[in-house]
Amino acid sequence: MKKTTYLFIASLFLLCSTGLFAQDGGLTLKLNYSLAVPSGSSKDVISNTSYRGFGAELMYHLNNKLALGLETGNQDFYQKYPRQLYKMADGTELSAVIANSIQTVPILLKVQYNLLPGAIIQPYLALGAGGNIITYNQYAGQFSNDGKTKFSFAARPEAGVYVPFRKGSAAGVSLGAGYNYMPFKYNGIDNLNSIAARIGVSFPLGN
Amino acid sequence: MKNYLTLAVLVVAVFVLGSCTKDPVKNLSPEESRIYITNHDSTTSFSAFKTFSISDSVAIISGNHLQEKTHDAFDAALIAAFANAMTQRGYKSVAKDQNPDFGINVNNIINTYTGYVDYGNYYNDYYGYWDPYSWGYPGYGYYGSYIGTYQVNEGVISIDMFDLKNAPESGKIKSVWNGVVRGKGIFNDGSIGTSVQALFDQSTYIKAN
Repeated sequence: MKKTTYLFIASLFLLCSTGLFAQDGGLTLKLNYSLAVPSGSSKDVISNTSYRGFGAELMYHLNNKLALGLETGNQDFYQKYPRQLYKMADGTELSAVIANSIQTVPILLKVQYNLLPGAIIQPYLALGAGGNIITYNQYAGQFSNDGKTKFSFAARPEAGVYVPFRKGSAAGVSLGAGYNYMPFKYNGIDNLNSIAARIGVSFPLGN
Repeated sequence: MKNYLTLAVLVVAVFVLGSCTKDPVKNLSPEESRIYITNHDSTTSFSAFKTFSISDSVAIISGNHLQEKTHDAFDAALIAAFANAMTQRGYKSVAKDQNPDFGINVNNIINTYTGYVDYGNYYNDYYGYWDPYSWGYPGYGYYGSYIGTYQVNEGVISIDMFDLKNAPESGKIKSVWNGVVRGKGIFNDGSIGTSVQALFDQSTYIKAN
């Protein structure tokens, strides 16, 4: 909770310091394809890179530098482990192919700061913070062994570049990389953090 | 208006794409789909037993009730494979009337509901599936450890091993080992060897010497 508060205050500070209310932009929609590489202790659950990630951002451009909006999406993680013998606490021996399946659906408030508005290649920094619907399932063979759906805090600092299709256009393509901070305390799991790379296409939705 | 229609279409498209998750069950081969579960009585020394007798038919148990006992080609092959594995571990197969140390029953449990099976009921009714009289111990009750934490909604091969050696002294027939096989294709003849091998591989304590 404390972390959420800090992020919110930091976002507000960033907005105020850049002329928050000098509104001259409009709405854009960005569609993203993303891949995610589990990091840290999340690799104990799934270490495979996820190539199944899609997302959408609806951003309101307050001025040519600053945009504020909402982001959501879906990233699917999956890993199957070779057959192994597991000794259960009650003495039962279980031989199974264990598979872990995780889907994350972040719902984030996002602030984005464009470092070089008007340039051909425009670097940006962004920060998203909010919640994450995480669905975790573990299978022993074809049988569901464990499962949990939780809504928990999520944050995503991101850096990237935006390349407009035409000079000054609100339509363009962007490349970015970020860190998905996703705490998930459950059954010995601490978090499902990952490093994400994404490519997106932006469309203006009118002023 | 056109912009908002585009927005709606694109957002729907993203969520359709986002629902492209890898199905954990479809991504398994039949062999990978199977699980092998064994449980044994930790106080039993399996090397203290030297002989066994195995049932000559398979009990079909559905909804915790005995439906029938069958002896088709699959049943015969399963029983033979298990008996062969016991022999390889040093046990001698004897007839029921020759005072076997172990009694072995083979069951096919069919449950078509989902939920956690109460194997306690399974054992409470065990008397009905395999009358202790068949082991030469009329009136005795079964007891022992059970596997009870797995969801069942399909056919399961379940094999039980009982201590007949000490039954006269204890007045009960104690369950000392239980093996369960679940998953795709377990009732194909070709999977019998794999299933029995897997159960024995993870039960290294089953050995006469």
